[in-house]
Amino acid sequence: MSNPHSNGAWLLLVPALGIMGFVAVIPLVAVFNFSFHDIFTIDEAYWIGPEWFTEITRDPQFWASLGRSALFSLIVLSIQVPLGVWLALLMLKMGRMAVPVLMLVALPLVVPWNMIAGMWLTLINPEHGLAGRAMTALGIAFDYKFTALHTWVLIVLADTWHWLGLVVILAYAGVAAIPEPYRQAAAIDGASRLAVFRYIELPRITGALSIVLLLRFVDSFMIYTEAFSINAGGPNNATTFLSLELAADIGSYTYGRAAARAMLDFLIVLTVAWAFIRIRSTGKHQ
Amino acid sequence: MSARGLTLRAVVFGLLALFILLPFAQTVLLSFTLTLPREGHVTGAPTLLNYAEVWARPDLRGSILNSLTYVTLNIALCLAAGLPAAYAFARYRFTGDRHVLFALLAFRLTPPVVLSLPVFFLFARFGLVNNPVGIALVHCAFNLPVAIWILESFIAAVPREYDETCFIDGHSLSGFFFKRLIPAIAPGIGVTVFFCFVFSWVEVVLARILTVTAGKPITMAINALYGFRTDIGLVMAMTVVSLIPGVAMIWFVRNHIARGFVIRT
Repeated sequence: MSNPHSNGAWLLLVPALGIMGFVAVIPLVAVFNFSFHDIFTIDEAYWIGPEWFTEITRDPQFWASLGRSALFSLIVLSIQVPLGVWLALLMLKMGRMAVPVLMLVALPLVVPWNMIAGMWLTLINPEHGLAGRAMTALGIAFDYKFTALHTWVLIVLADTWHWLGLVVILAYAGVAAIPEPYRQAAAIDGASRLAVFRYIELPRITGALSIVLLLRFVDSFMIYTEAFSINAGGPNNATTFLSLELAADIGSYTYGRAAARAMLDFLIVLTVAWAFIRIRSTGKHQ
Repeated sequence: MSARGLTLRAVVFGLLALFILLPFAQTVLLSFTLTLPREGHVTGAPTLLNYAEVWARPDLRGSILNSLTYVTLNIALCLAAGLPAAYAFARYRFTGDRHVLFALLAFRLTPPVVLSLPVFFLFARFGLVNNPVGIALVHCAFNLPVAIWILESFIAAVPREYDETCFIDGHSLSGFFFKRLIPAIAPGIGVTVFFCFVFSWVEVVLARILTVTAGKPITMAINALYGFRTDIGLVMAMTVVSLIPGVAMIWFVRNHIARGFVIRT
């Protein structure tokens, strides 16, 4: 039975749209406006047209940061999404035992973002950290301050620790909603576990998975708090991501350039999200 | 389940538990350890002094209250605005409904750093800086879309005949919302509260920029503890305290946490 058509339902959206207008639409329009100005104080701004945009896009630093952010997202997605889906599939046959696992993976989600880095740095501290002392004892030299590869490993590890739970929860919600007879029928037909996943489960969780991919993409692409607290973009800018550059502009009070940068970052994120949704919907119609 | 399946799961989830719990174990361990020398105590000794200090310092105690205030306000706002919107999406078709849903998703995808600058100027004009209402409002940009999404899927799971019976029984729209609909989707409310909490309690960028002189949240209170000679034991004790409400939330929604995200295609 489909829902009745009623434009009166718009009235029910008024409170939500009012709030979103104030906290999201107006600020976005304001950033757009700032990005064409040179701003000294909020009352002293000069129109300079797209000058900031040309300056930023001619800056090789910007493209390097863009590359680093894209690489980081790629690494994070290719680790967390398959791992999360696999864990969710393993949890399927566990019945009530799935609940403690869900609680376990949800734990890192309630840690304050600035303490994610704090907890990991303490853990690997060679003086009083459990992992740090173990590594010293085993003779492993882990130097996240000055070795770029180690900084990357640490940020990826901390990010996976932080967000794996979200992937598991959303993927589990998807696969647990598939009626059991579907799988049983496939098993009777002699389908392998891989075939059941490819032809029965995967098509039914694409909705949940696209949300996971989108959320994890934006949050990893614009990672700030963890990356900044771990090594502030170093060593030698090896972990300077887009958001760290943006925050540096805000910190140095060059608001016009910060706004232009914010606009560029937002447009990149939106373009990727839009392309992703388009690809998915053409795939569905075929 | 076969013996092989059982062993595989025991190993996999054992390793997962180790990976996830290790940083927590470290944190709890250090929170009970003396890490800065004090009169009459040796460093490294087990102690309750860190927790005593969290309790004794008004800035730390105050930050917990500040965080609780704006998180509660944010949850109230998200439910008050999100429930009617979710009801509209779950029960009616209307011109532009899909577009509005996509626009909401786009806002959830806006990076907080992008919004921080104009939000500060805008909120300063309305006296919302250093004010818990400001943080509660700005977190809605991220929590309201998620709340609408979760609530919509729970409302859609309730058959429409249920609404119709209630209206025939003589309930007004508001009476129906409070006396019938909310009890029927209580688990959905719980899951929504959990996910609003999870963002609002732990978010750093916007909460920092909107608290210049007063109303510091728990995250900023922890940051302020880092300095020339950081008492890492105290930092960890404060972190443990900041985890308590979140862990309690997980416990309350444990049976429903994965149910809010079933996406109907």
